[in-house]
Amino acid sequence: MNAIVLTNRLNAAPAAPSEPVLSIAALHVRFGDVVAIENLSLTLRRGEFVSLLGPSGCGKSTLLKAVADLVKPSGGEIVRSDLNLRTGFMFQKPLLLPWRTTLDNVLLPTEIQRGGNAVDSAERQNALRMLDLVRLRDFSDAYPQQLSGGMQQRAALARALMCDPDVLLLDEPFGALDELTRDVLNEELIRIWQSKKTRLATVLMVTHSIPEAVTMSDRVIVLSSRPARIIEDVAVACPRPRAPEDADTAAIIRRVRAMVRSDR
Amino acid sequence: MISRALPPLAFALLLLVAWQAIVTVGEIPEYLLPSPTAILATVDRSLAVSFAVTFLEALAGFLIASVLAFAIATLFVRFHTLEEGLFPLAIAVKTTPIVAIAPLLVIWLGTGWWSKIVAAILICFFPVLVNTVKGLKAADVEYRELFETLGASRGQEFRKLRVPYCLPYLFSALKISSSLAVVGAIVGEFVGATQGLGYLIMISSAHLETATLFSAIFAAAIAGIAMFYAISFAERRLIFWSSGEAE
Repeated sequence: MNAIVLTNRLNAAPAAPSEPVLSIAALHVRFGDVVAIENLSLTLRRGEFVSLLGPSGCGKSTLLKAVADLVKPSGGEIVRSDLNLRTGFMFQKPLLLPWRTTLDNVLLPTEIQRGGNAVDSAERQNALRMLDLVRLRDFSDAYPQQLSGGMQQRAALARALMCDPDVLLLDEPFGALDELTRDVLNEELIRIWQSKKTRLATVLMVTHSIPEAVTMSDRVIVLSSRPARIIEDVAVACPRPRAPEDADTAAIIRRVRAMVRSDR
Repeated sequence: MISRALPPLAFALLLLVAWQAIVTVGEIPEYLLPSPTAILATVDRSLAVSFAVTFLEALAGFLIASVLAFAIATLFVRFHTLEEGLFPLAIAVKTTPIVAIAPLLVIWLGTGWWSKIVAAILICFFPVLVNTVKGLKAADVEYRELFETLGASRGQEFRKLRVPYCLPYLFSALKISSSLAVVGAIVGEFVGATQGLGYLIMISSAHLETATLFSAIFAAAIAGIAMFYAISFAERRLIFWSSGEAE
């Protein structure tokens, strides 16, 4: 597959590609007779924001779940550069536990890591810091059913960040929200990714929105319909912050749209 | 709370007044239909003792059945083969009428407390088992995936996800089985007992002491209602997040 680089401005060049953090090599995933992913190879480098773009049911979520070890590949391998590499996973649904407050939901990963031991005050402070980061501090004592859909996803993001992940895996994280809320949360996600307040460096996000993928990512991996193969690996080098209306961003959006169309 | 209790109390009072009036005006003999005041006159220490005996038998059966059913449901969910193998047996126990089993219980366990407690256990066990199995499996597969990505052990998933998720299902079953427990205890007493409301009902009907019979029936109803409302109260306190009814 060839990488298309569309750079319109000189200062737009992203940081030099750094070391790979995660390599997917000749991955095959099969569910019974259905081949979900066929011979797919992809390398994620530290600091990259990568989107997996494809039609519904193409196997992009399966790919993400394979990276998260939720799905066993039937062939190929997924190599982590570092055995201590931590991944965080965020689902399309917030999946908050309704009997826990926002703060206690965010503390769930910590509780699980500590086994039977009680969470200490430093960890509570850390959870509050994460709630600050997603701008939900004021709702730390609220229960999920008292929060709006967007706020619930903010809490889910804070919870995913509590694992202190190097790589964040996002499965259409704001796909169930209305467009306005979704735009705001996408911007917040970029802000947190860029903030360096967490270890988080690398993001792999599944989406079926072309503007979302292009506006947010350093690379857009365009996938075919099932079985998922990579059609194109599109590098997006436009300067940030971006908007879908920017001339250079819009050009790439049109370009990607044409690729997706040609697959049908 | 008071305003909610007012309408049913008012209607109950109205009904009692009408009943009293009909019996008095119609001069209905007491062995056919005793008046509310005649029934009230039979409330004495021996009725209170009968009530306590039956209530404690039902409560003991209910508690033992609930703990047992929860434990077995846990095993069923953990070991699927066990569920497949034993579920038909559980259905067989459920579908056999308690009235048919009660004489056997008296032969095996005597006319004391245990035959009644076991009758209550048999009648309470099944609803709790079925709902607990259902509740422990009710958490969406995505929730289980979340716990998997967080590296949770099976025990952690059970304690932090499955059990709280199951509580609304469990309590629906407890509400049903709590009132059934009283039925179990009374059926056990019918077959062979020397005390309790079931015994009192048998004796008073044999002697045509209809007023005593009525007071025993009301006492049995009160025992069931008390169990039901105690569970409902605990449910509202404990499960604040779920307003919906889980079956």
